[in-house]
Amino acid sequence: MSGLVMSNEEKFLHKKFSDYYSSSTVSVRGLEKREFGFGGWEKKIEFRHLSFKNESELRARLVAEAPLYISHSLAYYEFPDARPMPRKIWEGSDLIFDLDAEGHTCGKFTCQQCLDRVKADAIKLIEEFLLPDFGFSKSELAVNFSGSRGYHVHVVSDAIYDLDREARREIADYVSGTGLSFERLFWNEGKKFFGPSSSQGGFGGKFARAFVAKLTDDSFAISIARKLKKPEEKEKLKMAIERGNWDNIGITNREKKLSEKFEEMKLTMAGRIDANVTADTSKLIRMPDSIHGGSGFSAKRLSSPDAITSFEPMRSAPVFRSAPMKLKATEAIPALNIQDFSFGPIPAGEVRELPEACAIYLICKKAACIFP
Amino acid sequence: MEIVSSYVEKAEERVQEAIVSGKVKKVPALTEAQEEELALYAIARMIVSCANNRYLINRYAVAEAKKTNDYLSSDSSAHPEYVDAVAAEFGIKFEKSGAQFLVPLGKYLTYTPRSTDYKLANREVSAGKVKVSNHERVRMLEEAVKKKIERELPIRAAFPADVKASGARVLALLPKLESAVVKVGQENYPPCVRRMIEELSLNVNLPHTARVALAIYLVRAGMPTDKIMDIFRGAPDFSEKTTHYQVEYLRTKGYAMPSCSTMDSYGVCVAQCHCGTPLNYRANVHGRALKREEPNEERARGESEGKK
Repeated sequence: MSGLVMSNEEKFLHKKFSDYYSSSTVSVRGLEKREFGFGGWEKKIEFRHLSFKNESELRARLVAEAPLYISHSLAYYEFPDARPMPRKIWEGSDLIFDLDAEGHTCGKFTCQQCLDRVKADAIKLIEEFLLPDFGFSKSELAVNFSGSRGYHVHVVSDAIYDLDREARREIADYVSGTGLSFERLFWNEGKKFFGPSSSQGGFGGKFARAFVAKLTDDSFAISIARKLKKPEEKEKLKMAIERGNWDNIGITNREKKLSEKFEEMKLTMAGRIDANVTADTSKLIRMPDSIHGGSGFSAKRLSSPDAITSFEPMRSAPVFRSAPMKLKATEAIPALNIQDFSFGPIPAGEVRELPEACAIYLICKKAACIFP
Repeated sequence: MEIVSSYVEKAEERVQEAIVSGKVKKVPALTEAQEEELALYAIARMIVSCANNRYLINRYAVAEAKKTNDYLSSDSSAHPEYVDAVAAEFGIKFEKSGAQFLVPLGKYLTYTPRSTDYKLANREVSAGKVKVSNHERVRMLEEAVKKKIERELPIRAAFPADVKASGARVLALLPKLESAVVKVGQENYPPCVRRMIEELSLNVNLPHTARVALAIYLVRAGMPTDKIMDIFRGAPDFSEKTTHYQVEYLRTKGYAMPSCSTMDSYGVCVAQCHCGTPLNYRANVHGRALKREEPNEERARGESEGKK
């Protein structure tokens, strides 16, 4: 908690959050082995090294303190509250993928475009990396909304439980295509030139498939060889590549052209994740189904990885639905839609009455104050 | 506990060999010799434990692991079941796939050396399995043996007097590392470089990628080869000849310093100082110091001087 005097807004949020936790259940896998961290108005993690014996103890604390941010470790420790870190005795850790709109261009307020883009990133991560390449089953994946504008994909599996930071860094680098090299996927042996087939695992296969798919685009095809204008030539090349034959394809300057295309296509083949989060074995991450103090939205747990396709954060993640409230904008607020209610833009200084979820969102964003 | 004293002697020779040559001699796996071999291995572990020195443990681990590789490389075609048996000891199951093998992702990441050759992004990865060659499979088992010994030793127990005496003699044989590791003016080095030098002085087995990056840095920072070699002397698998060759090779090839993001992907970035490449660190720190401490005119002069 910040300072000695809490603002009206801060008091109000604590009351609302406390009510929320008193009427909801908390469930965290392996709760007694996790480290917890709480944050407030000023900082997302103000206190860490907390631990709880069971769900009712944690819930009682959440009701009493109503922290604005609640995180827990991905790691399981023998002594989660011990410090410094080595004393905790690390036993293992879930694998995490953090997808966020941070790098996207919208500012402080959540925009639909960003949400859509991050959702597409998350679907790509699951469908093109976690399931086919890493071989995780859907039941090993737990997906939740971050509560702000991203998603967290937790992998709970014996296959990754005791991997160290370096191993996790390799996984993160794989997903983001870091260290990917054309020379390692294509090579010369004697006079022959070798490359990946479409059915091959890893980025080799991804490239072969993407390359074949792009051949339908004439400008792409022609940039490789003029003869590829002809459908029958395209078909011949497709069939050769599908079998992994990049050798006798009758293209001049073959290696140079392919490596250029490879460099161009690298980014679209790779996934977008925060690699540092994946590699960090002592990271604290938002507790699923807790409220994010920067939005008043729930870090809502999805019923299954598939549920993400139809999940609409601005509609389903807000949790408060009591009476409308009067607020005064302390800065200009853009047009927004929360829980299917459209409002704004609101110029700075103006007073509006808004549904509770919208009001709490603006208070959490520190963009409005309660109008007495 | 009673141990045949000739075994203690032989086991001591084995540990001495590991220190001096970095290798443990391969013995023909004859049935009669097998019992002795097992006993020697067990006693050698006790001797190393008695000496209780991290450099010795790590160097011994490297030597035993190399021996495993020697055995398995020659056995893998004649007796593939030996390789499978050793793999099973580490809970690894290699699945045959043409001339190659499939290994579960987690085991791959745990037991491959961290080098660009094994970078996961350039591997065939499918359904949770990674494809490796026979040679790479044996290399993984070498790494597994090394990690196991490093983790298990020292054993804590009351050892017989002759084993203890042996441990003391072995300890006396160790090179005097404190004097071998030069005092380098480390205060200007970036945190990642300082950390690597520190780890080497603690006899940590740095991954190959990290060693290359460190050597390139030191070459580029203008350190002569013999000084660089002194820094690498702490590596448990240090070899005078190989290190000299490699440092000279990097020097003549004029390799570029890996960028900070590459260093990060090697897992050696420790501070996120955002200087682009570790080589910029000194300039950056210097620049910042100037901004803080000096009035404007002097800063401008200082910066232009810094660029020369």
